Amino acid sequence: MEISTRPIDDEQLIVRVAQRDAEALGDLYDRHGRLVFGVLYRMLGSRESAEEVAQDAFHAVWQRASTYRADRGAVRAWLVTIARNKAIDWRRTKGKRQEREFQIDAAPELVDASRPEEEALTMIRDERVRAVVAGLPGEQRAALELAYWGGLSQSEIAERTGVPLGTVKSRVRMAMTKLREQLAGEGVGT
Amino acid sequence: MTEHPLDDLGAYALGALDQPDRERVEAHARGCAQCAAEISGYSTALTVYAAAVDRPVAPELRERIVTRHRRGNAFVSWLWRPMPAALPIALTIALVASLASAVVARREADGYAAALAGVADGRVVALQNTGELAGARGSLVIPQAGSPYLVLAMPAPPPGRAWEAWVLRDGRPIAAGIAAPRNGVLTVVLETPFQAGDGVAVTHEPAGGVAAPTSPAVLALART
Repeated sequence: MEISTRPIDDEQLIVRVAQRDAEALGDLYDRHGRLVFGVLYRMLGSRESAEEVAQDAFHAVWQRASTYRADRGAVRAWLVTIARNKAIDWRRTKGKRQEREFQIDAAPELVDASRPEEEALTMIRDERVRAVVAGLPGEQRAALELAYWGGLSQSEIAERTGVPLGTVKSRVRMAMTKLREQLAGEGVGT
Repeated sequence: MTEHPLDDLGAYALGALDQPDRERVEAHARGCAQCAAEISGYSTALTVYAAAVDRPVAPELRERIVTRHRRGNAFVSWLWRPMPAALPIALTIALVASLASAVVARREADGYAAALAGVADGRVVALQNTGELAGARGSLVIPQAGSPYLVLAMPAPPPGRAWEAWVLRDGRPIAAGIAAPRNGVLTVVLETPFQAGDGVAVTHEPAGGVAAPTSPAVLALART
């Protein structure tokens, strides 16, 4: 009998999580936990908050795994969406929304340098992604960052910045279109 | 099919739409593979963007997540297990305080009865009181359309605690939501998809819920 050596893909892991396999949840964390934690750390501004919400997010994955639909997007994107929604809920319910400047800087004390070659390749790719974002017009980049990292809706951005809602919508739309197109052009997006 | 909300798809993926617009786009995308694929494309781009920004690590977090859910598989028969001595005392204190007012208790009972009387198109199954909390009552409502839900006649939990619902499947409890007051009565819409033959239970847990029950069931229905 031929034994497949193909690595288990994310969707298979989700199926196992839906079957209450905690080790599969751990495997998902191994693959995407760093991204999820990174998003939460940046959104919430503290390690403690990010860890708390990350646990909530993976618990939500545990509960909702059977509802995942592959035709609606990759598991990685689904995980990040769940984590972001948890972070937004957490800030609203706990009243800890922070007025932060969303700078694109790493948290040096938290960077894992245990796999230098892999890290180097990742850093090169990430640099290209950051260049794409940096190339967006400033007002579009600001709208994108306030929405993504700040968890603000378009009307909240309009209120906070004093910019008309229609203008905010236009900036968000253009930012998203350029981000997607240019990442694809760089071969690092869709 | 409504007109494709193309201008809003990126903002939807970004989570930047306000609720009415978000619900409109969601409703459309459920029946439109083209727009769903567009949203997926935007979401993937955002994930690439997010991955490029921060790369922090939390080495001990994985173990906490796995351990929390591994415990959920170790279910034996928590429904009827003896409760540790300290817990019933704390629970009793809290519940006595909550139940002290006959007016409150009557109002809860009235809300419970009214909620069940209002079920026009569904099946109502009474839950069994396990003896952990005298007077607690609850029913599972299985509507012809929509998600099943529990209606509970129980005191509000003290601060920091909650009534958590569980779907029982093949002998295992699956977290199904936290009870919250709605129209004067505690209810839980079951978050876990409910299947024929599943049971339900309600336990007393920390606010926000837990992945596996930490106390015996107060109300239970072994199977439907």
